Amino acid sequence: MILGCVALVSVVSFVCVPQGTQAARPGTIRGRVELRRPTSPVERRPGVAELGSPAPRDVPNLLRSVVYLESAPRGAFETEEGGHAIMDQRNETFVPHVLAITTGTTVDFPNSDRFYHNVFSLSKTRRFDLGRYAAGGSRAVRFDRPGIARVFCDIHSHMNAFILVFSHPFFGVTDDDGRYHIDDVPPGTYNVIAWHEGTSSDPKAASVPDGGIAELDFTVR
Amino acid sequence: MKVWSMAACLAWLAFACRMHAQTLPSEPISIADGRVVVSGDVSGTVGTVDPGFFNLTDYDHSALRLMRVDVSATVNAGDHFAVLGEVRAENLDELSPYALFLRVKPWTAHDITIQLGRVPPTFGAFARRTYPADNPLIGYPLGYQYLTSLRADSLPETADDLLRRRGLGWLDRFKIGNQTFEHGLPLVNAFHWDTGVQMHAATENNIVNGTVAVTAGTLSNPLFHDDNNGLQYAARMEFRPVAGLILGASGARGPFVSAGAATAAVGEGHDREFTQTAWGADVEYSRHYMLLRFETIVSEWRLPVVSEPAIAVPLRAVSTSVEGRYKLAPGLYVAARLDHLGFNDVHGTTTTAPWDAPVTRAEAGIGFSIQRNLLLKVSHQYNTRDGGPLRRVEPQTAAQLVFWF
Repeated sequence: MILGCVALVSVVSFVCVPQGTQAARPGTIRGRVELRRPTSPVERRPGVAELGSPAPRDVPNLLRSVVYLESAPRGAFETEEGGHAIMDQRNETFVPHVLAITTGTTVDFPNSDRFYHNVFSLSKTRRFDLGRYAAGGSRAVRFDRPGIARVFCDIHSHMNAFILVFSHPFFGVTDDDGRYHIDDVPPGTYNVIAWHEGTSSDPKAASVPDGGIAELDFTVR
Repeated sequence: MKVWSMAACLAWLAFACRMHAQTLPSEPISIADGRVVVSGDVSGTVGTVDPGFFNLTDYDHSALRLMRVDVSATVNAGDHFAVLGEVRAENLDELSPYALFLRVKPWTAHDITIQLGRVPPTFGAFARRTYPADNPLIGYPLGYQYLTSLRADSLPETADDLLRRRGLGWLDRFKIGNQTFEHGLPLVNAFHWDTGVQMHAATENNIVNGTVAVTAGTLSNPLFHDDNNGLQYAARMEFRPVAGLILGASGARGPFVSAGAATAAVGEGHDREFTQTAWGADVEYSRHYMLLRFETIVSEWRLPVVSEPAIAVPLRAVSTSVEGRYKLAPGLYVAARLDHLGFNDVHGTTTTAPWDAPVTRAEAGIGFSIQRNLLLKVSHQYNTRDGGPLRRVEPQTAAQLVFWF
């Protein structure tokens, strides 16, 4: 997992220039990520010392993968502008479980539960601890370095999430069927990687035609 | 030799966690689609020698020189039933069953739980968070750990007998009952769990919850098999008016003296008369990076009155602790606890004094998360004891590495 984070940081930090032309129309890379062995959600630790039964909780959506270009076209960084994203804490689950953003993005962590949460990350990408805050409260964290931040709750150890921070905008998150699309990709040939719950696929080459679509499917895990 | 063994284990733990971060579990092990879940806590503690036995637990180990392994498991059988258990080994001794009980949730729509078997402590707040990862410091609150001179199976004949054993709870015996030297008992035993049945209920939003239990032993002396034909009744109420604030109150009462010792003291048929009664209050408040806890316990024991000078019953002990933790940075916190354990006076032939030597402890430390589930703690504590033949002032320093999954 840690190696995966390091790999992501390093590969997206390097930029190689594909054979694109400035006048060309951008295209799309799309396809499907098949999960060979779906991941199980992290269970609560056995509450041997608890006096009552644990309350029901939501199970995170573990079907989502992230597909991204290993190397970004020239100029990808010139338009980089961090926006806002939200990772909610709802019924002892981070929603979404996987969040993909560009560098400079600020992520809000609202607490939608009645009880405290304490979001933190000890990842090299972004080390933070938001402390305890109650329902209706929110804290924000800005992500300035590319890489993967593993996010946890200090009170509920089964709560975890991933934030993938890219230094370019060429990535897509799959839907529940595993389908993805990466739009506005300048024509050229790129190495594309699919990531799922800490596991990355081998890079696959995709040739994006002028104004066209490149189909690329993956199988991970 | 044992210290070096523990140090070696500690070093191995640190090495293993760093080298095998990719393979060591960081989350509970889930089997059969989550129906079986196993988790573990491993901690290694090295500390200075404790000649005053301030940190001895009733497992006869110093809390500051301890290798502890806990493995917990739950087997879920549908929405209504689960079996939970925990085994523990200290200093690489044999595994001992810490907990094993059936959890029944009769109605899924109501927050009511019944637990049967060796169940978690109903009384107080600290006894359910003794795990190293839950304890911001290394030492334990005195009320849950410090061994008084009282025993359930060995009784003083007079007040003079009792006063002679002040401060000697680490190894103790009196004239009546069991003549084997053994350790005394704490106010509330956090390290052995009692056996019986427990019922917990909470309001829909968990603003108020309560627990009642009937068990074989007492707070000081939890038992697997009853030793005096009497049951303990315990209750706890919690009130959570706002997020981050927990107000708790607890009470318990049960026959304390074993049937054998009671018979030896006053004849048969009286073993249910010699009780331990305790009351507790606790407050927890947390906000942002701060966590504050306060807990006080008042415990009274009624012992047989055998000979003059008679022991004035009940014997009373009061434990009070205040604890705080503050996070300085991600993965780094400071913590401190101030703790006092006092006893009421008894009158001997020549002296009047607290029946056991009062103890005060101040402890402060830091915790640093090397990774999410690998925590390094360092703490320093200062212990004082007002009486007894052993060392009365004792500074202690310890380091603890905690790994959990």
